Amino acid sequence: MKILEFEKIDSTQKKAKEIVHQAEPWTVILAKEQTSGYGRKGNFWYSPRGGLYFSIILPKTGIEDVQILTILTAFVVAKILKEDFGLEPLLKLPNDVLVNNKKICGILTENIILGRETKNSIIGIGLNTNVESFPEELKEKATSLRIELQKEVDQKTIFQKILKELKNYFKAIT
Amino acid sequence: MKFSIKIGEKEYLIEILEEEEGVKIKVGEKEFFFREEEKFLAKSKIEKKEFKEKKILAPIAGVISDIFVKEGDFIKKGQKLFFLSAMKMENEILSDFEGRVKKIFVNKGESVKKDQTLLIGE
Repeated sequence: MKILEFEKIDSTQKKAKEIVHQAEPWTVILAKEQTSGYGRKGNFWYSPRGGLYFSIILPKTGIEDVQILTILTAFVVAKILKEDFGLEPLLKLPNDVLVNNKKICGILTENIILGRETKNSIIGIGLNTNVESFPEELKEKATSLRIELQKEVDQKTIFQKILKELKNYFKAIT
Repeated sequence: MKFSIKIGEKEYLIEILEEEEGVKIKVGEKEFFFREEEKFLAKSKIEKKEFKEKKILAPIAGVISDIFVKEGDFIKKGQKLFFLSAMKMENEILSDFEGRVKKIFVNKGESVKKDQTLLIGE
Protein backbone atom coordinates (compact mmCIF):
# COMPACT_ATOMS: atom_id res chain seq x y z
CA MET A 1 0.00 0.00 0.00
CA LYS A 2 1.37 3.34 -1.05
CA ILE A 3 0.39 6.47 0.85
CA LEU A 4 0.91 9.85 -0.79
CA GLU A 5 0.72 12.51 1.88
CA PHE A 6 0.07 16.18 1.29
CA GLU A 7 0.20 19.11 3.70
CA LYS A 8 -2.42 20.93 1.67
CA ILE A 9 -4.26 19.94 -1.49
CA ASP A 10 -7.31 21.10 -3.43
CA SER A 11 -8.99 17.71 -3.13
CA THR A 12 -7.68 14.21 -2.43
CA GLN A 13 -10.43 12.82 -4.63
CA LYS A 14 -9.43 15.06 -7.53
CA LYS A 15 -5.78 14.07 -7.11
CA ALA A 16 -6.71 10.39 -7.04
CA LYS A 17 -8.65 10.79 -10.28
CA GLU A 18 -5.66 12.47 -11.89
CA ILE A 19 -3.23 9.68 -11.07
CA VAL A 20 -5.61 6.72 -11.18
CA HIS A 21 -4.37 5.43 -14.54
CA GLN A 22 -0.78 5.06 -13.38
CA ALA A 23 -1.39 4.24 -9.74
CA GLU A 24 -1.21 0.86 -8.06
CA PRO A 25 -4.38 -0.41 -6.40
CA TRP A 26 -4.66 0.65 -2.76
CA THR A 27 -2.72 3.83 -3.36
CA VAL A 28 -4.01 6.35 -0.83
CA ILE A 29 -3.98 10.13 -1.15
CA LEU A 30 -3.92 11.68 2.31
CA ALA A 31 -4.07 15.39 3.09
CA LYS A 32 -3.94 17.46 6.25
CA GLU A 33 -6.04 20.15 4.65
CA GLN A 34 -8.21 20.51 1.53
CA THR A 35 -9.04 23.79 -0.13
CA SER A 36 -11.77 22.38 -2.42
CA GLY A 37 -12.90 19.20 -0.71
CA TYR A 38 -16.15 17.93 -2.13
CA GLY A 39 -18.82 15.34 -1.46
CA ARG A 40 -21.68 13.94 -3.47
CA LYS A 41 -23.08 16.12 -6.24
CA GLY A 42 -20.01 18.31 -5.90
CA ASN A 43 -21.12 19.68 -2.51
CA PHE A 44 -18.38 21.47 -0.64
CA TRP A 45 -16.76 19.59 2.23
CA TYR A 46 -15.29 21.87 4.87
CA SER A 47 -11.75 20.51 5.28
CA PRO A 48 -9.57 22.58 7.62
CA ARG A 49 -6.41 21.34 9.31
CA GLY A 50 -7.29 18.84 12.02
CA GLY A 51 -9.55 16.61 9.96
CA LEU A 52 -8.76 13.34 8.26
CA TYR A 53 -9.14 13.48 4.49
CA PHE A 54 -8.17 10.66 2.19
CA SER A 55 -9.03 8.89 -1.05
CA ILE A 56 -8.33 5.26 -1.81
CA ILE A 57 -7.74 3.90 -5.31
CA LEU A 58 -9.39 0.50 -5.25
CA PRO A 59 -8.37 -2.58 -7.20
CA LYS A 60 -10.46 -3.18 -10.28
CA THR A 61 -13.73 -4.88 -9.46
CA GLY A 62 -17.42 -4.92 -10.37
CA ILE A 63 -19.61 -1.91 -9.69
CA GLU A 64 -21.83 -3.86 -7.27
CA ASP A 65 -18.80 -4.78 -5.16
CA VAL A 66 -17.81 -1.12 -4.98
CA GLN A 67 -21.33 -0.21 -3.91
CA ILE A 68 -21.21 -2.73 -1.07
CA LEU A 69 -17.77 -1.50 -0.05
CA THR A 70 -19.08 2.08 0.12
CA ILE A 71 -21.77 1.06 2.59
CA LEU A 72 -19.20 -0.94 4.53
CA THR A 73 -16.93 2.11 4.73
CA ALA A 74 -19.64 4.03 6.55
CA PHE A 75 -20.13 1.01 8.78
CA VAL A 76 -16.39 0.73 9.55
CA VAL A 77 -16.20 4.41 10.53
CA ALA A 78 -19.32 4.13 12.69
CA LYS A 79 -17.94 1.02 14.37
CA ILE A 80 -14.68 2.80 15.28
CA LEU A 81 -16.58 5.80 16.64
CA LYS A 82 -18.70 3.53 18.80
CA GLU A 83 -16.22 0.93 19.95
CA ASP A 84 -13.11 3.08 20.38
CA PHE A 85 -14.67 6.36 21.45
CA GLY A 86 -18.01 5.41 22.98
CA LEU A 87 -20.02 7.67 20.66
CA GLU A 88 -23.48 6.79 19.33
CA PRO A 89 -23.13 7.14 15.58
CA LEU A 90 -25.99 6.95 13.14
CA LEU A 91 -25.54 5.81 9.57
CA LYS A 92 -27.44 8.06 7.26
CA LEU A 93 -27.78 6.60 3.82
CA PRO A 94 -26.42 7.10 1.31
CA ASN A 95 -23.04 7.98 2.76
CA ASP A 96 -22.95 9.96 5.94
CA VAL A 97 -22.19 9.17 9.53
CA LEU A 98 -23.86 11.38 12.10
CA VAL A 99 -23.27 11.93 15.79
CA ASN A 100 -25.91 13.80 17.78
CA ASN A 101 -27.67 14.49 14.49
CA LYS A 102 -24.65 16.29 13.06
CA LYS A 103 -22.43 15.13 10.25
CA ILE A 104 -19.08 13.78 11.41
CA CYS A 105 -18.05 11.79 8.34
CA GLY A 106 -18.85 11.82 4.64
CA ILE A 107 -18.01 9.16 2.09
CA LEU A 108 -17.88 9.64 -1.64
CA THR A 109 -17.31 6.88 -4.13
CA GLU A 110 -16.58 7.67 -7.74
CA ASN A 111 -16.38 5.13 -10.53
CA ILE A 112 -14.92 5.59 -13.98
CA ILE A 113 -16.73 3.30 -16.37
CA LEU A 114 -15.61 2.61 -19.91
CA GLY A 115 -18.71 1.40 -21.74
CA ARG A 116 -19.79 -1.40 -19.44
CA GLU A 117 -16.52 -2.07 -17.73
CA THR A 118 -15.65 -0.46 -14.39
CA LYS A 119 -12.14 0.83 -14.97
CA ASN A 120 -11.39 2.62 -11.73
CA SER A 121 -13.06 3.18 -8.41
CA ILE A 122 -12.07 5.69 -5.77
CA ILE A 123 -13.48 5.95 -2.27
CA GLY A 124 -13.03 9.28 -0.55
CA ILE A 125 -13.45 9.74 3.18
CA GLY A 126 -13.72 12.96 5.11
CA LEU A 127 -13.74 12.43 8.85
CA ASN A 128 -13.93 15.35 11.24
CA THR A 129 -11.42 14.18 13.82
CA ASN A 130 -9.63 17.10 15.44
CA VAL A 131 -11.51 19.95 13.79
CA GLU A 132 -11.81 22.47 16.62
CA SER A 133 -14.81 24.40 15.41
CA PHE A 134 -17.02 25.00 12.40
CA PRO A 135 -18.11 28.24 10.73
CA GLU A 136 -21.46 29.65 11.83
CA GLU A 137 -23.42 28.20 8.87
CA LEU A 138 -22.19 24.67 9.64
CA LYS A 139 -22.36 24.71 13.43
CA GLU A 140 -25.77 23.06 13.56
CA LYS A 141 -24.97 20.55 10.83
CA ALA A 142 -21.45 19.36 11.50
CA THR A 143 -19.43 18.07 14.40
CA SER A 144 -16.07 16.47 15.10
CA LEU A 145 -14.58 13.94 17.48
CA ARG A 146 -12.72 16.81 19.14
CA ILE A 147 -15.98 18.66 19.82
CA GLU A 148 -17.90 15.58 20.97
CA LEU A 149 -15.14 14.20 23.21
CA GLN A 150 -13.60 17.49 24.30
CA LYS A 151 -10.15 16.11 23.54
CA GLU A 152 -7.79 15.39 20.66
CA VAL A 153 -7.76 11.94 19.08
CA ASP A 154 -4.95 10.01 17.42
CA GLN A 155 -5.65 10.41 13.72
CA LYS A 156 -2.99 7.98 12.56
CA THR A 157 -4.50 5.07 14.47
CA ILE A 158 -7.97 5.80 13.10
CA PHE A 159 -6.63 6.13 9.57
CA GLN A 160 -4.74 2.83 9.74
CA LYS A 161 -7.67 1.05 11.29
CA ILE A 162 -10.08 2.20 8.56
CA LEU A 163 -7.66 1.06 5.84
CA LYS A 164 -7.06 -2.29 7.45
CA GLU A 165 -10.75 -3.02 7.90
CA LEU A 166 -11.58 -1.93 4.35
CA LYS A 167 -8.92 -4.19 2.91
CA ASN A 168 -10.34 -7.12 4.83
CA TYR A 169 -13.88 -6.39 3.72
CA PHE A 170 -12.74 -5.97 0.14
CA LYS A 171 -11.15 -9.40 0.23
CA ALA A 172 -14.30 -10.87 1.74
CA ILE A 173 -16.71 -9.49 -0.84
CA THR A 174 -14.72 -9.88 -4.05
CA MET B 1 -4.93 -19.46 -57.16
CA LYS B 2 -1.18 -19.63 -56.73
CA PHE B 3 1.17 -17.12 -55.19
CA SER B 4 4.39 -16.99 -53.31
CA ILE B 5 5.38 -15.16 -50.16
CA LYS B 6 8.81 -14.46 -48.84
CA ILE B 7 9.47 -14.66 -45.12
CA GLY B 8 13.02 -13.73 -44.29
CA GLU B 9 15.16 -15.43 -46.90
CA LYS B 10 12.78 -18.28 -47.49
CA GLU B 11 10.17 -18.29 -50.20
CA TYR B 12 6.92 -20.23 -49.84
CA LEU B 13 4.68 -21.25 -52.67
CA ILE B 14 1.05 -21.07 -51.66
CA GLU B 15 -1.80 -22.59 -53.57
CA ILE B 16 -5.44 -22.16 -52.70
CA LEU B 17 -7.83 -24.68 -54.15
CA GLU B 18 -11.58 -24.48 -53.86
CA GLU B 19 -12.95 -27.98 -53.52
CA GLU B 20 -16.44 -29.30 -53.06
CA GLU B 21 -16.21 -29.89 -49.28
CA GLY B 22 -14.09 -26.87 -48.52
CA VAL B 23 -10.91 -25.05 -49.25
CA LYS B 24 -7.48 -26.60 -49.52
CA ILE B 25 -4.46 -24.45 -48.90
CA LYS B 26 -1.09 -25.83 -49.92
CA VAL B 27 2.01 -24.26 -48.40
CA GLY B 28 5.06 -25.78 -50.02
CA GLU B 29 4.64 -29.49 -49.47
CA LYS B 30 2.13 -29.11 -46.61
CA GLU B 31 -1.60 -29.18 -47.13
CA PHE B 32 -4.26 -27.58 -44.93
CA PHE B 33 -7.86 -28.42 -45.48
CA PHE B 34 -10.70 -26.17 -44.27
CA ARG B 35 -14.14 -27.66 -44.30
CA GLU B 36 -17.19 -25.62 -45.16
CA GLU B 37 -18.53 -25.10 -41.60
CA GLU B 38 -15.17 -23.85 -40.35
CA LYS B 39 -15.10 -21.34 -43.13
CA PHE B 40 -18.55 -20.22 -42.08
CA LEU B 41 -17.50 -19.94 -38.47
CA ALA B 42 -14.53 -17.82 -39.32
CA LYS B 43 -16.69 -15.57 -41.45
CA SER B 44 -19.33 -15.04 -38.76
CA LYS B 45 -16.66 -14.08 -36.23
CA ILE B 46 -15.38 -11.34 -38.47
CA GLU B 47 -18.85 -10.00 -39.07
CA LYS B 48 -19.56 -9.84 -35.36
CA LYS B 49 -16.50 -7.72 -34.81
CA GLU B 50 -17.27 -5.40 -37.67
CA PHE B 51 -20.81 -4.80 -36.52
CA LYS B 52 -20.15 -4.47 -32.81
CA GLU B 53 -22.93 -2.38 -31.41
CA LYS B 54 -21.95 1.14 -30.53
CA LYS B 55 -24.18 1.46 -27.55
CA ILE B 56 -23.85 2.81 -24.01
CA LEU B 57 -26.00 1.31 -21.29
CA ALA B 58 -26.54 2.39 -17.71
CA PRO B 59 -24.17 0.25 -15.61
CA ILE B 60 -26.32 0.78 -12.53
CA ALA B 61 -29.65 2.43 -11.69
CA GLY B 62 -29.44 6.14 -10.92
CA VAL B 63 -29.99 9.67 -12.15
CA ILE B 64 -28.24 11.22 -15.12
CA SER B 65 -26.70 14.27 -13.49
CA ASP B 66 -24.82 15.55 -16.52
CA ILE B 67 -24.45 14.95 -20.26
CA PHE B 68 -21.27 16.02 -22.01
CA VAL B 69 -22.06 15.25 -25.66
CA LYS B 70 -24.88 15.89 -28.09
CA GLU B 71 -26.29 14.08 -31.09
CA GLY B 72 -24.07 14.37 -34.13
CA ASP B 73 -20.88 14.82 -32.09
CA PHE B 74 -17.87 12.77 -33.04
CA ILE B 75 -16.60 10.98 -29.96
CA LYS B 76 -13.38 9.21 -29.16
CA LYS B 77 -12.80 6.13 -27.08
CA GLY B 78 -12.39 7.17 -23.45
CA GLN B 79 -14.31 10.44 -23.89
CA LYS B 80 -16.57 11.48 -21.02
CA LEU B 81 -20.25 11.04 -21.92
CA PHE B 82 -22.39 11.07 -18.78
CA PHE B 83 -22.37 11.53 -15.04
CA LEU B 84 -24.64 9.04 -13.39
CA SER B 85 -25.42 9.54 -9.71
CA ALA B 86 -26.39 6.29 -8.11
CA MET B 87 -27.57 6.16 -4.53
CA LYS B 88 -24.13 5.65 -3.10
CA MET B 89 -21.81 6.57 -5.92
CA GLU B 90 -20.97 9.07 -8.59
CA ASN B 91 -20.19 7.41 -11.91
CA GLU B 92 -18.33 8.89 -14.83
CA ILE B 93 -19.31 7.02 -17.98
CA LEU B 94 -16.79 7.07 -20.81
CA SER B 95 -17.24 5.91 -24.37
CA ASP B 96 -15.85 2.49 -25.30
CA PHE B 97 -16.02 3.24 -29.01
CA GLU B 98 -15.07 5.84 -31.53
CA GLY B 99 -17.76 7.21 -33.80
CA ARG B 100 -20.62 9.63 -34.12
CA VAL B 101 -23.40 10.02 -31.56
CA LYS B 102 -26.52 8.88 -33.38
CA LYS B 103 -29.05 9.26 -30.59
CA ILE B 104 -29.14 10.15 -26.91
CA PHE B 105 -32.11 8.63 -25.11
CA VAL B 106 -31.94 10.46 -21.79
CA ASN B 107 -32.10 13.99 -20.45
CA LYS B 108 -30.24 15.61 -17.60
CA GLY B 109 -31.99 14.83 -14.32
CA GLU B 110 -33.70 11.71 -15.65
CA SER B 111 -33.81 8.47 -13.66
CA VAL B 112 -32.52 5.41 -15.44
CA LYS B 113 -32.67 1.70 -14.77
CA LYS B 114 -29.74 -0.67 -14.94
CA ASP B 115 -28.98 -1.66 -18.54
CA GLN B 116 -31.18 1.08 -19.97
CA THR B 117 -29.81 2.39 -23.28
CA LEU B 118 -28.37 5.86 -22.83
CA LEU B 119 -26.77 6.46 -26.19
CA ILE B 120 -26.19 4.80 -29.51
CA GLY B 121 -23.45 5.63 -31.91
CA GLU B 122 -22.60 4.81 -35.49
